[in-house]
Amino acid sequence: MDRRRIRVLLVEDEEINRVVARAVLRAAGVEADEAENGAEAVRRVRERVGAGAYDLILTDKQMPVMDGHEATRQIRAMGVTTPIVAVSSDSLPSDVQAFITAGADDFMPKPLTKEKLGCILSKFGLA
Amino acid sequence: MDYSNLRRQAASLKKGLFDQGHLDEQFRQVEDLQDEASPNFVEEVVVVFFKDSGRLITNLEQALEKYPRDFNRWDAYMQQLKGSCSSIGASRMKNECMSFRDSCGQRNVEGCMGSFQKLKREHAVLRQKLESYFQLLRQAGPAGAATRPVM
Repeated sequence: MDRRRIRVLLVEDEEINRVVARAVLRAAGVEADEAENGAEAVRRVRERVGAGAYDLILTDKQMPVMDGHEATRQIRAMGVTTPIVAVSSDSLPSDVQAFITAGADDFMPKPLTKEKLGCILSKFGLA
Repeated sequence: MDYSNLRRQAASLKKGLFDQGHLDEQFRQVEDLQDEASPNFVEEVVVVFFKDSGRLITNLEQALEKYPRDFNRWDAYMQQLKGSCSSIGASRMKNECMSFRDSCGQRNVEGCMGSFQKLKREHAVLRQKLESYFQLLRQAGPAGAATRPVM
């Protein structure tokens, strides 16, 4: 039986960060959708509620239109329990706590690497 | 043409970039993502980086000339640039970004201006060295290598 591929939503506005993260996800054999801001992320998650839900959401903090904190809050308000991991260059304890308070499950400092992704996938039983 | 000599020159140039602190371990992580499916991945990432960073530096330069001083805007631009630098391992640039943000936090205009000038110099040096590096790789590669992307 074929193992179902993990589906990840990558939420990141900066192209360079998307390019690198996309390659990391591809190397891990993960299917990835992308959203360039929090509002688009919320829309994509809403479209997939129920069957076909994402297995993992990786989100940046600072983005236009809607930031990662607000996107996380809105996704949780929908009743979505998909693991959400913040991946941000702002990694002060206050930044981390703000994400956790919004409903994120974990925080990882940028940039995303193979090793960091491996840790995330293992932590949430997706490896 | 002595291809092995060109490869040696490229390797030496790259080693210098690491030894002088222009690049850090993250660049090796990016190199590790290059494979047969994406044979020019590293160069493509570097092209995107310089497009992004060039835009952010231009935006910041314009913002620095405006009154009243908008430290929040300055910091936001520099935070984006710092993130980009982190993605490719542009270590010296990243350090200047952090120095700039420290000065922003202290509302230190002179500190910000000084860091910004250093950042622009580091950006120019890194761009020139990486251009040379990829040019050597292209020359050292097999005949009929891909055409040069604009950086």
